[in-house]
Amino acid sequence: VTTEPVLPGDDPRRLLSGARELAQRVRRAQRAPWFPLLVFAAVAFASIPVYRYGGLHLGRCVVTGPGLRACTAYIRRSGAHGIETRVRPYAVAGIIIAAALTGAAVWLLHHPSASGPVGLGALLLLTLGYLAVVLVPVSFGWVTSTPQHQSRLPDA
Amino acid sequence: MTGHPANGLDDTVHQRVRLGILTIAHEAQRVEFSFLRDNLELTAGNLSQHLGVLENAGLITVEKGYAGKRARTWVSLTKAGQTALADEITQLKLLISRIERAGSAPE
Repeated sequence: VTTEPVLPGDDPRRLLSGARELAQRVRRAQRAPWFPLLVFAAVAFASIPVYRYGGLHLGRCVVTGPGLRACTAYIRRSGAHGIETRVRPYAVAGIIIAAALTGAAVWLLHHPSASGPVGLGALLLLTLGYLAVVLVPVSFGWVTSTPQHQSRLPDA
Repeated sequence: MTGHPANGLDDTVHQRVRLGILTIAHEAQRVEFSFLRDNLELTAGNLSQHLGVLENAGLITVEKGYAGKRARTWVSLTKAGQTALADEITQLKLLISRIERAGSAPE
């Protein structure tokens, strides 16, 4: 294996751009089975008024039942595409959010007058922080500093 | 070892196909053999050889199992593989910047 002829891709710029393209291809494939998660998000949003005005029991059922099924379907479908998506970051983020919300709820019990603006601010901060963590791609910096020199691996 | 970034390149990782395997494995928890074969446009035998090299170097782990009745082979990156990939990318960037500096230097 190690004696095979040198491929054109051994040029460092081509190797880096090829690696970047492969990383993007994997991310595209991972995005394909995201539909169940979108459904889960829609159900979760729709359940907020149900939770608020319809009683705790109904609200929890709406969120947890389809939500769990959607997450399971997402993990299964991404596996069916040949790539297993990392679940741990989402689980850790979920635990952190749950802990933060619990802490906020306990704090608000002792400071009921601050529930309006402080609560909204905390929720906004939490949302922005979560989006920053989820949306900023973790990579080794496949892109070099000079895009004009980037070349792609030849398409088959 | 001199300070030239080319000396920091690990032949096991620097090979284009193996770099591709590590790159794909880095993006996912586990990646299936067929996904690697299709995306790297390799034959099964060729891919197996490259996987063997990476597995012997301790950069990946290969698991065999079943999904329903279908036999499947899953590849995942080890900690050593992550480090090796990060080192390779760093060395490649150093090489590129060195080439560019050399290219822009007055003659």
